[in-house]
Amino acid sequence: MTEFFTALSEYTFLQNAIIACLLASVSCGVIGSYVVVKKISFLTGGIAHSVLAGMGMAYFYNVSPILGAIIAALVSSILIGWINLRWKEHEDVLIAAFWSAGMAIGILFLSRTPGYNVDLMSYLFGNILLITESDLLLMLVLDVVVFSIVMVCYKHFLVSVFDEEFAKLHGINTEFFYILLLCLISITIVILIQLVGLILVIALLTLPAAIANQYVTSLYKMFFLSAIVCAVISIGGVAISYEPDLPTGSVIVLLACASYFISVFIKQFINNRSSG
Amino acid sequence: MSNVVIDIDNVSFNYGPVPVLENISLKINEDEFIGIIGPNASGKSTLLKLILGLIKPDNGTIEKYNQTCQHQRNHIGYVPQHINFSRDFPVTVEEVVLMGHVTSTSLFFKFSKNEITSAKQAMQALEIDNIAKRQIGSLSGGQLQRVLIARALVCQPNILILDEPTSNIDMRVEEDIFALLKNYSEHMTIIVVSHDIAFISGYVDRVACLNRTLVCHDTESISGKMIEELYDAPVKMIHHHH
Repeated sequence: MTEFFTALSEYTFLQNAIIACLLASVSCGVIGSYVVVKKISFLTGGIAHSVLAGMGMAYFYNVSPILGAIIAALVSSILIGWINLRWKEHEDVLIAAFWSAGMAIGILFLSRTPGYNVDLMSYLFGNILLITESDLLLMLVLDVVVFSIVMVCYKHFLVSVFDEEFAKLHGINTEFFYILLLCLISITIVILIQLVGLILVIALLTLPAAIANQYVTSLYKMFFLSAIVCAVISIGGVAISYEPDLPTGSVIVLLACASYFISVFIKQFINNRSSG
Repeated sequence: MSNVVIDIDNVSFNYGPVPVLENISLKINEDEFIGIIGPNASGKSTLLKLILGLIKPDNGTIEKYNQTCQHQRNHIGYVPQHINFSRDFPVTVEEVVLMGHVTSTSLFFKFSKNEITSAKQAMQALEIDNIAKRQIGSLSGGQLQRVLIARALVCQPNILILDEPTSNIDMRVEEDIFALLKNYSEHMTIIVVSHDIAFISGYVDRVACLNRTLVCHDTESISGKMIEELYDAPVKMIHHHH
């Protein structure tokens, strides 16, 4: 671990990685909280995997893969949301279809792209140590977009996520806010792909928020606590993986899972103590 | 002659090929306390949803204050039968009551001083101000019901609609809640759906009996025979004294 701190003061790529963790934690905390309280982690996984379609096409047409990811994430979240609103009873099948179709389209385009791309592996499994300054700038912009939309529409999101029927009675367009929420989720997915890759993104969008949910009484407190948890876990993952040279994304995800289970046990212990 | 606040005129509604409500006509007056009773699947909740404007009738019209449903929604407070949310949602009692103030134009994070004051008043009226900071998962069924009634009352509606408000709580709390509603009914139109005719007849001004079609009665005229007709089975009448 001491080697990590010495390296941190010397190498820009490590400093960038830490900044990336902090930037990702903002959106991760806020949007992850919505994913957990609305119980749509499977749907979020579907959107994350369909992002591969956009990346595959971006490689094939030789444009920025992150641009492809953003477009694919937005398109698939609007499509899933729109179809889901009209076809609610088949939600899980619909998600499975988008999940696999997105990946299949991505692989088809990649198989027609000449040459082998190392970059692709870093989008699938993340490579936080390769993050550049322009990536950080993009993350900052996306963070600002997500955070300001959530703050301006805080009450609308709260009421429509909490009790949809009640929100409708109060004149709130719940379908619009549902699709807007999916779009914010998809933007957050693109931010998190830089950290852990699209295969593992679901862990960071659910586990820190689920940990926070055990200790808070209000949604805005959940935002803050899960952002802090996300920052600690992702920076911790970078630090642990550095010296033995392990894949950072995987270490972050395993750290998140371990933290979740430890937190469940601690919470159980506290409950038993207070009730007994 | 009192003012009509809700005028349901010859309304029918089907779920696909299944007729749920047929030719319902009902005028509800200002400050009236009306009970809607009927067996399971008699269309009670559907009628409430039509009045609320959540669904549209296949035939007939529903007028509220002589205007069409959609624009009048905020004048109606609604307490649903089943809670539509999960109990582990991170939200406090106070925050749920404040949600009664949220409309499509409520932006940002904070509520105004007036909104907070009126939420406090509603919580005091329902005796839940001492649990204002508790997360909703830690409440009993009766407490949660009071929270939902406070949420419906906080925007000071002219009409309060409750769907089986006491179906999940014990008898003593049920009496408390109806006594409270009786109080409010002096300056508010209240529509309450129930399956327990004997109990609500002690509180309401008028009972509408619904079983796909509608028959209206004053509470005095409710008889065992009428209930038998409605439920299609012999029913034991129990007298309440309040």
